[in-house]
Amino acid sequence: MKKTYSSILAIVLLVGVINPLLADEISVTAGISRQEVNSGDMAELQIKVSGAQQADVPQQIAVEGLNIRLTGQSTQVQMVNFKVSSSVVYSYIVMPLRTGKFMIPSVTVTADGRQFRTQSLTFSVLDASASSAAPSAQPPSTTSGILGFTQPRQRTAAPKPDIASVAFGEINCPKKTLYAGEMVPVEIRYYFDARYATQVRGNVDFGGEGVLVERFPEPKEGREERNGVLYNVLTFRSLLSGVKPGSIDLAPAKLDCQIQLPGELPPGFDDPVFQQLLGGQARFGQTRELAVKTAPLHLEVLPLPKEGRPASFAGAVGQFDIDAMVSNQHLAPGDPATLSVKIGGKGNFKGMGPPVLTASDDWRTYPPTDRFDSSDELSYTGVKSFDFTLIAQKPTKLSPGAEFSFFDPQSGKYQTLVTKPLPLDASPGNSTIAPGNSLPGNSLPGKKSLPNPSPVSHPSLTPPEGDPIQGLTLHSWKTPVQRSEFFIASISMLIGAGTLAAALWFRDLQARGGTAATRRKRRLSALLVILKDETMDAASTYDAAVEYLEMTLRGDSSEALLATMIARRDQFKYGTGGTFPLSKSEREQLLSELCSSVPTHQHE
Amino acid sequence: MNKKLIRTIIVGCLIIVYSTDLGHAGLSEQMASANAALAGGRPIEALDSYKAILASPALSASSSAELWFNRGLAEEKNGNAPAAALSFRRALLLDPGFAPARRQLSVLLGGLGIPFEFGWRETLTTMIPPEFLILGGSVMGWIGIFGLIILLMAGPRKKGFVLLAIILAIAGHGVCVLGTLIDSRFLAAKQAVITAKEAQELKATPADNAASMGSVVPGALIRIVSRNGAWSYVSEGSGPHASQGWIHSDTATPLLP
Repeated sequence: MKKTYSSILAIVLLVGVINPLLADEISVTAGISRQEVNSGDMAELQIKVSGAQQADVPQQIAVEGLNIRLTGQSTQVQMVNFKVSSSVVYSYIVMPLRTGKFMIPSVTVTADGRQFRTQSLTFSVLDASASSAAPSAQPPSTTSGILGFTQPRQRTAAPKPDIASVAFGEINCPKKTLYAGEMVPVEIRYYFDARYATQVRGNVDFGGEGVLVERFPEPKEGREERNGVLYNVLTFRSLLSGVKPGSIDLAPAKLDCQIQLPGELPPGFDDPVFQQLLGGQARFGQTRELAVKTAPLHLEVLPLPKEGRPASFAGAVGQFDIDAMVSNQHLAPGDPATLSVKIGGKGNFKGMGPPVLTASDDWRTYPPTDRFDSSDELSYTGVKSFDFTLIAQKPTKLSPGAEFSFFDPQSGKYQTLVTKPLPLDASPGNSTIAPGNSLPGNSLPGKKSLPNPSPVSHPSLTPPEGDPIQGLTLHSWKTPVQRSEFFIASISMLIGAGTLAAALWFRDLQARGGTAATRRKRRLSALLVILKDETMDAASTYDAAVEYLEMTLRGDSSEALLATMIARRDQFKYGTGGTFPLSKSEREQLLSELCSSVPTHQHE
Repeated sequence: MNKKLIRTIIVGCLIIVYSTDLGHAGLSEQMASANAALAGGRPIEALDSYKAILASPALSASSSAELWFNRGLAEEKNGNAPAAALSFRRALLLDPGFAPARRQLSVLLGGLGIPFEFGWRETLTTMIPPEFLILGGSVMGWIGIFGLIILLMAGPRKKGFVLLAIILAIAGHGVCVLGTLIDSRFLAAKQAVITAKEAQELKATPADNAASMGSVVPGALIRIVSRNGAWSYVSEGSGPHASQGWIHSDTATPLLP
């Protein structure tokens, strides 16, 4: 009994200890890097999901006047006192499209099958020209970000000089001065002395307030020699973009690792013979936890100029070109067409909005769907396709055109690309969509509107006014080859073809007097009748006998008889007596010779 | 005797045709009533009527594209966009050249953020119905075969005619095969539409707590690769953009009813 109580107590204690280790409460919070920005500047919105490694978040957050798009995510896993906690942070870029005060609504996040909502946030966009009169830099204290994400990280003390040569990092950013929203490739290389076993833990910790760093893909491994020492090199590449204009000092990029370093040899073991016997100093080595760091990075982020900003500018920064095509040039009345506008080049594909359609008066247009095909692992270069669904409202021969504006950081100017309307043949059908009933984001006739910032994430389910169609035409759910009728018809055709072939063959056979064997048999019978006919003249009788022998005899032995027969026939034919019938005795002799020389069955 | 047999056959055929017409006439009346409800702004009543008509035994092996289209309109008006997408797809399955269903589906999918695939198959089926290709090709092919038999066994055996018959036989049956391959009903047996109201996570394994491999949005067309209990392994999209994973079977409805 006492033992039972002890067991129950142990189980209760065990459950009590394990439960807090395993249970990981999920919480979702949202924060924004800056509550106020000047027009042309951008901010970073982060949604932190604690207690989960994966969550469903919207790609875009719809706020009128703001373009908020998901740009990346990072996952953190921590173990403190054997308690594992994980969190995932989703970063959004907030791009103002106009000045004013905005309320970023609460966002629904699905994690572990449950739904959570973030708190709503306020955000202000100030007029840059007004604020430039009073140049007061945003104090860092105005940041209302999430702790541990946007705050500068506390750094550990510098490693000892000898450790610094065992493991160190370098950062290479080709551009130190960049425009807000411009994507700049950044390369971080970590060197580890190849003589010591090293184990890397986690991913690179790099970033800070005012910049967005894309998620680092898997690093490249290599080897390099420096000052006579061979190093294993881990190279991380990513993209960096400035969000907040001004000077930004980024803390060194950090990578946690564990290195097996040589330790002090015990007294008396420093003899080289002992070292060789014991396998070197590594036997007395020690494992060191290290945070390998690069040098800090200083960046100057310039705001996007307000002057010359086209109306169709929707946040694209880089170098791009444009192309357009329509799916079908000959449309049946009322058929929808798809206009694909392809934006290719290099830049911030994730942050760019769709092109604006021009000359779309004759068309009803719908918000486009987009797809990005990257040509590199960083998604820096590639082609982004925007597919617009169009329905003709009038008979027309031209599709809408497209206009796309971007900021070129090399020239420091905005560029606008246009595509001309493409030729096609379209006319409205018996549309079940009443005029004036449009989905959000439609280009209104005669108005060039800014692209809808959230065409995909907030579709309208408002049904178009449709009239039901009268009439009833029945179609099978099965394709003809799957139906039994088709199978039966095919088999019938096969049988019919076979029957026809057989009938034609038989007819041909009949026309030719039967088969060769039948014809031979019939001829032999006829010859026998001639041979037995006592009124037949001698020449004809021997003709029949020769033919009979030729048809029945085979082999050299019969050739002598045949030669005799031919000689007798020729004698009757060309000599005398050929016109008279054979005597009875000669006929019987002839028949007996034929019967003795020919196998019995051939007489039948 | 022969006259009596012919008369019996004719009367039998007339009875069959008349009884089918009677059935259709009944369906047409019900359909007109449902259409009136839909046009009169009573989509719930219309939807119930369309469901009742489509559930009738007369429409089990075959069905009407117009009925499915009207049902889709009713579902759309009731705010059930995924179900409407399924109904429009079924209407197009029955009649690939049914322009109103194609237009309505493209608009609906555009609103849901789903690209409307319109490839060469769809273009071809819009121009020529697959049924016509299959039956026409089959007839042409058999004419070629019969012609070849007659030419070889009873005809003049002229090379030109024989070659023409061979080409007719091969091309006819080739067109029949092409018609079968482009017929969406041929592939529909393994296709389904996400009819759940919310996006479904594609799970790595058939378990609720499995890792997520992505998601499929309501109204999306998926291909069912295999089934495991209450779970289905599905594939969405094609080529490099395809994604696979497990979803609950009851969140998707097969394209073929």
